[in-house]
Amino acid sequence: MDTTTQPTNTQPSAIEKVFAFVDERVGLKTLQAKMLNEPVPGGSRWAYVFGSVLLFIFIMQAVTGILLMFYYVPTADHAYASTQYIIHSVDYGWFLLGYHFWGSTAMVVCVFAHMSQVFLWGAYKKPRELIWLVGLALFGIVMGFGFTGYLLPWDQRAYWATTVGVEIMDKTPLLGDFMARFLKGGATPGQMTLSRFFVIHVMVLPAALMGLAGLHVFLFRKAGPAGPFRGTVEEIKAKTDYFFPRQIWKDIVGMVLVFLCICSLAFWEPVVLLEEATPDPGDYHPEPEWYFLFLFQLLRLKIFAGEFGQFLGAIALPGAFMALLAALPFIDRSPERNIFKRPIALIGWIVVMASILIFTVAAIINREFLE
Amino acid sequence: MTGRETMSSFKLGLSILWPACWTALPIKMAFAMLFMAMGTIHLETKLGITFLMLLMTPVSVFAFFVISLGVGFHFGEGTGLPLLFLLSIPIDIWSLGLVARTVFLERLRLEPPASLGVGLWVRFAVAGAIYLPFLWVVQGGATDLARSITKSILDMDMLKAMPVAERIGLEFTAWGSASLVVLVALTFVGLSILGKLVEGRAAAAKPAGDTYQDLISRWDMIRVPADQSLMLTAFTAAGAVLSLLFWAVLPVSTPHPHECCKPPTEAVAPSFDAQKSLSKGEKAFKDAELKIAAIEQRAAEDEKEKQKGGKDKAGVKEGSPKSDGKPSQSAAGKPAGSGK
Repeated sequence: MDTTTQPTNTQPSAIEKVFAFVDERVGLKTLQAKMLNEPVPGGSRWAYVFGSVLLFIFIMQAVTGILLMFYYVPTADHAYASTQYIIHSVDYGWFLLGYHFWGSTAMVVCVFAHMSQVFLWGAYKKPRELIWLVGLALFGIVMGFGFTGYLLPWDQRAYWATTVGVEIMDKTPLLGDFMARFLKGGATPGQMTLSRFFVIHVMVLPAALMGLAGLHVFLFRKAGPAGPFRGTVEEIKAKTDYFFPRQIWKDIVGMVLVFLCICSLAFWEPVVLLEEATPDPGDYHPEPEWYFLFLFQLLRLKIFAGEFGQFLGAIALPGAFMALLAALPFIDRSPERNIFKRPIALIGWIVVMASILIFTVAAIINREFLE
Repeated sequence: MTGRETMSSFKLGLSILWPACWTALPIKMAFAMLFMAMGTIHLETKLGITFLMLLMTPVSVFAFFVISLGVGFHFGEGTGLPLLFLLSIPIDIWSLGLVARTVFLERLRLEPPASLGVGLWVRFAVAGAIYLPFLWVVQGGATDLARSITKSILDMDMLKAMPVAERIGLEFTAWGSASLVVLVALTFVGLSILGKLVEGRAAAAKPAGDTYQDLISRWDMIRVPADQSLMLTAFTAAGAVLSLLFWAVLPVSTPHPHECCKPPTEAVAPSFDAQKSLSKGEKAFKDAELKIAAIEQRAAEDEKEKQKGGKDKAGVKEGSPKSDGKPSQSAAGKPAGSGK
């Protein structure tokens, strides 16, 4: 038997050479280690997928939005026709628009789910207050995306939802009048309104979202994941693993599931435009997008009638709620994270979610009375 | 917790069914979307209920058909829907087996018995086929009752003056709460039944003798494939095939055109077939020749008749039937038996 060892080929391959070249200049290995080797206390969980899923939805919204912009004309006399053209004449245009439309809905749902998860897990507490605050700002941006994007098809639904929304904004003290006049750009919604909404939708908000999302991720990586809110130290330590591969796998499955849900919705309920926007509502009853319906129905209650009532329901109440959310990490200083040992937080969350659900469904039932 | 967990039937049923549903759903959704793109599934307005049925196929696979036939509830149209439920069976068996093995090992500290997935799936599916239609009927009845009671209360004279928005909110909250309580109670009972079925399998299982750290290692290894490269390759290949299929069957134009913008239906010109055209021309010539020959023959016969008629005109005039001034078939130039 020949005992001499064969000389091994230690020459790096072309790919390895390229990798080494880039690594020397960029620090790929360090970056990879930092990105993938983050310990996840207590192990990977499905509950942690919402952040990654939101990032995925945003990227898909950006891609579909850019493709739609190749055909969409943001002028009052062509916006409606170009949207119809996208739906009826552009190859796969109906699917792209449907995906973009339902993607915005998925984004709102996932933001709610992500915020709920952070709230219930007590992950907003010290030292993660800033992550929570930036997250709230991101929530506002997502809502802004929904509001500004709704006008762009320029049909009756878009026109009147925006008219109602801007009128509500007008009731904000100090800034309201300026904001409403700036967004409207004239006495009635028209070309200036469309231009401004378009610029905010495709330039201002994406830039703000990218910046804040980057800050959000940076702060998250700095503070580290909060981990489960219950379990012994031994159990959490035994189950702790790295971000790669288990959490990444779960994130990918979450993204695939969301993608499939959005595609299915685009098939099941494709975008159908109403008549082209006119300053006469005719038989159409103005209504905002579904995630603002609860607020819309709230304003129909008698206690919110009149000038002061409208201010109370449309501005003061949601404003106070958002202020409470922003102040939450500074008010709730108890280190206890287990939601079952925080009855006020649990009951508060149930009440808020039930109220949103009840008022949203009530708004849908209310349509029958209007028709 | 690091000791053996004592779980109620409800908690046991929930800890298996809930993750099993979500584990299987992405795969089932991929097929659902493909069938939708192919146009073999047309869902009705009850999208939420259909989605829930799809999510819960470990228990709803037979119940779906029982409810469709028994109660007459219409989920949707198309062959894709039953096919989807059929495809869900192996997916659910796999996901139930996977989740149940982790629960047995990590929570119950028991050695997972052989063919746990199939065993549990059969039990769950049969229990669901009996219990879900019952839940459906009871829940529907309770909701209807709650709605009618709420309506009659709000129709009372003292409450009639209530504004519409307040009335809607109050009415929905009242019957919705009653309906939710019934649903929660029925779900609790249903999950407890499933938990009992799992307990039946757990009673025969042997205790796992490893230390906690070893147990966690084994539990962890169940959750990842033995051959990760093979799994990744298979997953990527399946994803690529499904993506290609999706783009192949995805309609280029909207399957839901608006009334205003329906594309004009263009009449497609038939393709030119030289052979067919030539034979058609030849046939036309032959027909024309036959027609001319028939006309000439008829004309010659008429001429003969005339000549003959000239000789005994008076006799023929008396014996011929009345023509009423109408041209005869031959006079109209139509050859007998031509059919054209």
